[in-house]
Amino acid sequence: MMGGLLVWTVHFFAIYIVASVFPGTDLARILTSLLTLAGLGADGYLLWWAAGAMKASGEEVQHWKALIAAMSAAISFVAVLWQGFPVVLA
Amino acid sequence: MSSETGFDPTLYARFPTKEDRPEGELEELERVWKAPTGWSRLTAVNNNYVGVWYIGTAFLFFLLAGVLALVMRVQLALPLVGILPQETYNQFFTMHGTVMMFLFAVPAVEAIGILLLPQMLAARDLPFPRLSAYAFWAYFVGGLCFFASLFVGLAPNGGWFMYPPLTSMAYSPGINADFWLLGIGFIEISAIAGAIEIIVGVLRTRAPGMSLDKMPIFAWGMLVFAVMIVIAFPAIILGTLLLELERALNWPFFDPTRGGDPLLWQHLFWFFGHPEVYIIFLPAAALVSTMIPALARTPLIGHNLIVLAFLATGFISFGVWSHHMFTTGMPRLSVGFFSAASMAVSVPAGIQVFSWIATLAAGKPRYNTPTLFVVGGLVTFVIGGLTGVMVAMVPFDWQAHDTHFIVAHLHYVLIGGMVFPMLAAFYFWMGMTSRRALSERLGKWTFWLMFAGMQITFLPMHLTGFMGMPRRVYTYLPGRSWEITNMISTVGAFIIAAGVAVLLFDLARKFRFTVKHDAGNVYGGGTLEWLPTGLYSVRSIPVVRSRYPVWDDPELGDDVQQGRYFLPGAPTGHRETIITSPVRAEPQYLQIMPGPTVWSLFAAVFTAGFFLLLTVQAYTPAIVSGVLAIMAMIRWLWETDRPVAMDEVDVGGGICLPTYVTGSHTHGWWAMIILLVVVGMIFLMTVFSYLYLYVIHPQFWSPPPDALWLAPLLLGYGGAAALAVLARRLLGREKTTLWTPPTLMGIAALALLVSVLLEFRSWVDAGLNPQLSGQGATVYAFMSLQALLTGVTVLMTVYLAARNSRGLVVRPRNNTFDLITIFIIYTAAQGIVGTLLTRLFPGAL
Repeated sequence: MMGGLLVWTVHFFAIYIVASVFPGTDLARILTSLLTLAGLGADGYLLWWAAGAMKASGEEVQHWKALIAAMSAAISFVAVLWQGFPVVLA
Repeated sequence: MSSETGFDPTLYARFPTKEDRPEGELEELERVWKAPTGWSRLTAVNNNYVGVWYIGTAFLFFLLAGVLALVMRVQLALPLVGILPQETYNQFFTMHGTVMMFLFAVPAVEAIGILLLPQMLAARDLPFPRLSAYAFWAYFVGGLCFFASLFVGLAPNGGWFMYPPLTSMAYSPGINADFWLLGIGFIEISAIAGAIEIIVGVLRTRAPGMSLDKMPIFAWGMLVFAVMIVIAFPAIILGTLLLELERALNWPFFDPTRGGDPLLWQHLFWFFGHPEVYIIFLPAAALVSTMIPALARTPLIGHNLIVLAFLATGFISFGVWSHHMFTTGMPRLSVGFFSAASMAVSVPAGIQVFSWIATLAAGKPRYNTPTLFVVGGLVTFVIGGLTGVMVAMVPFDWQAHDTHFIVAHLHYVLIGGMVFPMLAAFYFWMGMTSRRALSERLGKWTFWLMFAGMQITFLPMHLTGFMGMPRRVYTYLPGRSWEITNMISTVGAFIIAAGVAVLLFDLARKFRFTVKHDAGNVYGGGTLEWLPTGLYSVRSIPVVRSRYPVWDDPELGDDVQQGRYFLPGAPTGHRETIITSPVRAEPQYLQIMPGPTVWSLFAAVFTAGFFLLLTVQAYTPAIVSGVLAIMAMIRWLWETDRPVAMDEVDVGGGICLPTYVTGSHTHGWWAMIILLVVVGMIFLMTVFSYLYLYVIHPQFWSPPPDALWLAPLLLGYGGAAALAVLARRLLGREKTTLWTPPTLMGIAALALLVSVLLEFRSWVDAGLNPQLSGQGATVYAFMSLQALLTGVTVLMTVYLAARNSRGLVVRPRNNTFDLITIFIIYTAAQGIVGTLLTRLFPGAL
């Protein structure tokens, strides 16, 4: 249900650690970009999985859980993308 | 329909039952739940009492901190006013911020949770009523003593965030800072106790059928709030401990000349401090989301989106702490990440605001006091949110940092996001706890005075900040164009005070505490707290079939009152509630709840005594008080975890539930796991501190002890965990004597103790001195934490032995035994991780 938000959390702390350990380097930008792509991929997968679970579930609680999971993955997708943008700053 | 626990949901169709209830059942229920009278009332643990005391105390602190604000505003009304000397002004603004944040805002929302949640979930009470009482009394006694420091000139004076080096011994040599460090650390313990209670309460004591999708939005808000406390507060607990250790023992965590770093404090403080804002806002937002459907007379639009917004806020708010540190010179990329996250966190807040507006637009809102406070709060919060997005932008933040612009921004957020919603809640739920509702006429006066006063005070303050007036200055010179806006702000502050005075007058006139003969559902709420209640909460616990059960089933109140649902009496003759599963709320077992006790009160008083006596450096009385606190806690626990005569009871409709269960689905197990998450977070923050100091000042690092030390240490910790697991298994074997498992547990605790002593010895032999370097300080902090947990373990095993000697440890499983086993395993695991980290990093690199 909270997979998407967990992806966002892992992505955020990973890029923070990268930026702190390799401050001001191109390596930090490259690693951040890769981590962002990985985060977006994970969110995309979760979104696809949750959409499938919503279709498959005919039961109220299961459907609701899948709906929250899908929305969580969607908002995380946007957040991870947004969070990765600072690498393009000069 | 699928099941979570094997419970057959079709059994819900038996309710409401048709047959009459036996005679005397209600009287027995009332007898069991009766509150003490006279002075003994102080021993009450019912949420109805504790919740109201809690809210009353929080409101008292709101008034006290408000008075401080008024005096400060008079001081700043004109240049060179001499009402407050500089030192006293420093104490005033420190206490104003500290009291509002720590003694009003968090306790107030926690208190509302304790008061409302059991009724809203249709539980008899929250699962650990004595813990609630302890949390309240600790907060009450500790808070008042903390505030009293102001009257003897010993109040903290380093600002509510107490940055070192200003608060180090060199620049704050008195005990003022210690009052803050020990006082706040102690109040956090009270907050965490409340949070554990709320998490377990929301997830495990909901009415049958109240699955997560039907859970009231307020319960969602309180759940996320409590989880955030569990994650965030350990950072400040560790921070206050480290700073106190630096001040008391000269361990240089924050001293850059010896390998410490003052920015470490800022990281620890703000990792707690920014989520704290959302910790305050989320429950208030949840109150608004609960009130708006009733006030607008239509279901909440975007219920699921608001749940998602709560969850998203809970996560994202932990990624914004460094936006308070934009001016400290962090790496540019990091600054970019925190700026982005700070803007992103406004998205979930925006979702909620749009949902509220849509609900108000779709419904038929009435012109009454709670609606005014809700709408006024919304407008004020949105203004504060927009200036928040402004300061999330780094170049703007550099200009506005530490000016009155920030003071204006934070007051817009906190008053709009928390104070106004809380006042709306005051009016909305007053009918639940008072014989008479508050006056609508006076309520509107209160609102308009407070709303106008708020805007008059803080809108011009943005300009004062733009014109360059810094925060935390006790006066200013004439001719800087700050006079007019400051005078307007001061007038506004007194208008707010006038509004509060009207509210106090109204409260004095109308508020009369009651449990049974309340004014009722004045504003037409649709959730379960509006069912008829007594000290036992509802007469019978209904099956929940929708999000607004009171609206959707007009007969519900009558059926509940007639005892036609779950648990219409007290079948075991004790206080009880039904424990349900976390997702679908299926009935699992009957929890036997403890009743009134003086021991949680004593435990709280002595805990407060321990911290306060420590602050004034009365070490022997402090130790005595600490020992008495522990004894009182043990005494209160002694009466818990006892099986009752009946293994199973009929809880209504012919459904039978067990009265004693063990293992991972018990409420005690959940509480222990949450407690260990708190301890784990403190440990994790210590790891962060260790790595941070190494990254900043590697030149102060010295080699670790010889690697050979690892063998006995890992053996000791690993052996302790293995012994605990073995003891747990042996308890279930009939052939084993009952003394063998507790003895093995004792040996396990001993193994932990020996390991800690060996660890200490090895570092001493390696020549590491905690006073000489940041490495020494953090390594000794690790060992101190481990020693503390080991001490608790030893105490637990002695307690276990004592219970065993009284025949209270039963086969094949016993909750006390299970929980101590988990604690020992955790302590051993933490010892292993700490040992490996401090010896292999950077030693093995």
